[in-house]
Amino acid sequence: KSALLRCAPRWSSFLPLTGLMCVLLLVFVSVASASRDVVSENNETWRGPAGETRGDSHNQTNSTAHKKAFPVLSFNYEHVRKPFEISLWILLALLMKLGFHIIPGVQNIVPESCLLIGVGLLVGGIIKAIGEEAPVLDTKLFFLYLLPPIILDAGYFLPIRPFTENMGTILVFAVVGTLWNTFFIGGMIYGVCRIEGGQLASVDPLSCLLFGTIVSAVDPVAVLAVFEEIHINELLHILVFGESLLNDAVTVVLYHLFEEFTHAGTVTVVDAILGVVCFFVVSLGGILVGAIYGILGAFTSRFTSHTRVIEPLFVFLYSYMAYLSAEVFHLSGIMSLIACGVVMRPYVEANVSHKSYTTIKYFLKMWSSVSETLIFIFLGVSTVAGPHAWNWTFVIVTVVLCLVSRVLGVIGLTYIINKFRIVKLTKKDQFIVAYGGLRGAIAFSLGFLLTNSEMKNMFLTAIITVIFFTVIVQGMTIRPLVDLLAVKKKKESKRSINEEIHTQFLDHLLTGIEDICGHYGHHHWKDKLNRFNKAYVKKWLIAGERSTEPQLISFYNKMEMKQAMMLVESGSTAQLPTIVSSVSMQNIKPRGPARQRAIPSISKSREQEIRKILRANLQKTRQRLRSYSRHDLMIDPFEDNVSEVRFRRQRVEMERRMSHYLTVPANRQETPPVRKVCFESEHKVYTYDDSKSPRGWTAEPDPSPPDAVSLLNESSQRANQSSEHRAKHNDELRAKVPDEKEEQDQLKLSRCLSDPGPNKEEDLS
Amino acid sequence: MGFNGTSPLLDQRGELRPEDFGAIRELSMNPIGDRIISAFFSPGKETVDFASFVRILAHFHPTETSRSRDGVQPEPANSRTRKLKFAFQLYDQDRDGKISREELLQVLRTMLEMQVTEEQLQSIAERAIQEADLDQDDAISFDEFRKSLEKVDIDHKMSIRFLS
Repeated sequence: KSALLRCAPRWSSFLPLTGLMCVLLLVFVSVASASRDVVSENNETWRGPAGETRGDSHNQTNSTAHKKAFPVLSFNYEHVRKPFEISLWILLALLMKLGFHIIPGVQNIVPESCLLIGVGLLVGGIIKAIGEEAPVLDTKLFFLYLLPPIILDAGYFLPIRPFTENMGTILVFAVVGTLWNTFFIGGMIYGVCRIEGGQLASVDPLSCLLFGTIVSAVDPVAVLAVFEEIHINELLHILVFGESLLNDAVTVVLYHLFEEFTHAGTVTVVDAILGVVCFFVVSLGGILVGAIYGILGAFTSRFTSHTRVIEPLFVFLYSYMAYLSAEVFHLSGIMSLIACGVVMRPYVEANVSHKSYTTIKYFLKMWSSVSETLIFIFLGVSTVAGPHAWNWTFVIVTVVLCLVSRVLGVIGLTYIINKFRIVKLTKKDQFIVAYGGLRGAIAFSLGFLLTNSEMKNMFLTAIITVIFFTVIVQGMTIRPLVDLLAVKKKKESKRSINEEIHTQFLDHLLTGIEDICGHYGHHHWKDKLNRFNKAYVKKWLIAGERSTEPQLISFYNKMEMKQAMMLVESGSTAQLPTIVSSVSMQNIKPRGPARQRAIPSISKSREQEIRKILRANLQKTRQRLRSYSRHDLMIDPFEDNVSEVRFRRQRVEMERRMSHYLTVPANRQETPPVRKVCFESEHKVYTYDDSKSPRGWTAEPDPSPPDAVSLLNESSQRANQSSEHRAKHNDELRAKVPDEKEEQDQLKLSRCLSDPGPNKEEDLS
Repeated sequence: MGFNGTSPLLDQRGELRPEDFGAIRELSMNPIGDRIISAFFSPGKETVDFASFVRILAHFHPTETSRSRDGVQPEPANSRTRKLKFAFQLYDQDRDGKISREELLQVLRTMLEMQVTEEQLQSIAERAIQEADLDQDDAISFDEFRKSLEKVDIDHKMSIRFLS
């Protein structure tokens, strides 16, 4: 891959990078230690500008006591200590991440999460060696700051279709699977402790169950981190990932349940029933809270057309509030966050500008990336730092039991699930699902929350070992195993318009068949939901004209715009003046047929404006990716190839059509090798003019053919505001060609460039 | 089965007429409802008996992947190809084996109802044919249709779990 080729010369830059990182480490550690010595000094030498009276009096006493020289350069670390440390940590984490991507080949062997844990261990070791106190993965820090971005990123970009199609399976795995794991591990651990005796004898059953709860939950962070890189097929990805998200409800309930019981001492049947009720309350309540905030967010985004800049903030803040609100009531924060993202997304995307959409996407990816990196590094650091109580039996048994229970659980549940599934899960699928059940930082943080100190260290050690084992061993080996078992990989190409049309058609077909059968299945309810959505919800939550736009049309528009932007981008800038000139011709259209010159003198300002419009289009992201991958923010290389083929075909077709209508002698048709279609046609039209062929521009200034008018009307229909500006835009960019077929293609291009989306203000402002 | 529920007249006649289908309310709201109904009836016939009805619905039985087929046995009705063929025939009303541009336009028109302009429909149809048409005959044959849906999990999508 070209990435590797590029990496080779950069190897030399790796050494200075490590040097830099070491320097940073040393600086950090030294200032951390130096800060203590300096503290006492600072109180005397530093004058706060706010003028603390205490400081002032101190100053006065100092100045009266002896005249100190005015401190030209003073050192005050305490003032900025906290933000400085935080920034330094984040910077370190990101530099590490950078380093891994630069070193060639490392990525293919070791997943990033392992490397980050390793770095964390290293840093933790260094810090410990120096004798400093390392920052531990504080529960509050983790649950309130590090986890939400990752979950929001996952929830916002959750692929809805596969998720809802497999919802039953996911729920069964999440709820029943986690319950099974908990009780199996808890029970067996208790049995083992009883048998072993000695240090372990004092462990009581409830603690064991609590431990079982903590260690049995599949962790979304770890799953995301590892599965991201193996590009497994969509079904398996959504199964494991969905399970890791939805089991949060179970974990929360069980954790609180067992903790309460541990304090209460006795368990009654009523408590157990209440526990079950609590589960429903927690999960459904969490979803409800999330949905409410999601609707609020969508509703707010309806009115943001005048303040585009703060649009992304609404998305983030509403989601974060959803999470925090759920946490207030001990509801499942993760589910609330997911629900908020899922509910909000379709409406927000219809309302926000293209730039805001890009911002949201980038920020989410950025934050979640940073969070993930920090989590793994802190995990490593905390491992080194934390008090440990190593007990061979306990740890080994825990690890083995985790594996065994997971495998048994998956096999057993799949057997039951397959009776209800249309597409059965094969043995390979089951293996991947079982093997992909990674534990991660959530388990660690929950363990950290434990109050019982005597068992806590032992539990914590075991949890850390399990986490390390799953992330490192399973994470590293899953990729070769996936290759070995020839598990289906993710299909890389994007949806074509055909797929979209036919999928919708099939949806209708299946709904119809279900109605005939009287069987209210999946499609029936989906259809009802869609109708409800279209009839009521969209009107409320989507601004302006977009609320009535059918899905197929938005999809089609997006595709066309994508294609147009690719066409525009691929042409060199040298082509632009041609476009500019020919485009500007349109403005002179009403003037009449007596036009001699092919090249009008276009005003500088007009040229600038047109260039600006085109450039603004170029800067937009190329597509609204439907992918949920962490790293895939750039264009899919495969997509380019697919489009290339298509464009080449289109070009051939265009040439074929052109040759029907052009009466220009053959040599005229030779244009400089241009890869893309529309430029060619534009160019050709232009050369037309030079030859003063009778079919040249004379046809063009005729009163606009009906198409143009309808295009204008169309655009003015779509634009809520300043349509005259847009009409001008359309006029400029529409290339008038005598040939109707070409016109249609041009029409497409102009329609692409005149995106009906809400970004019009940006472009034209 | 729904057949019995659909038509109270079944016991008397033993067959269905288009009007019976029309009585299903949701089907009338379905954009391609009439196409589905007409798919049950062989061309020219006015009624469909129980056996044919079941035969059509058999297309939507979940595919059994573990079934071993020898070449002699006719392909089961619910195989992927047969499912796709059924869907294809819904597009291809004149049964010429191809989805012409006009047929595609008709489908788009019914699916998108009143909400789009004719031009947009034309562009979409144009693009769809461009994408799918490999042999450049300006129409989508069954193979091209199948190819364009190769990434879609037809077995999952076109299956209904029958309760009986």
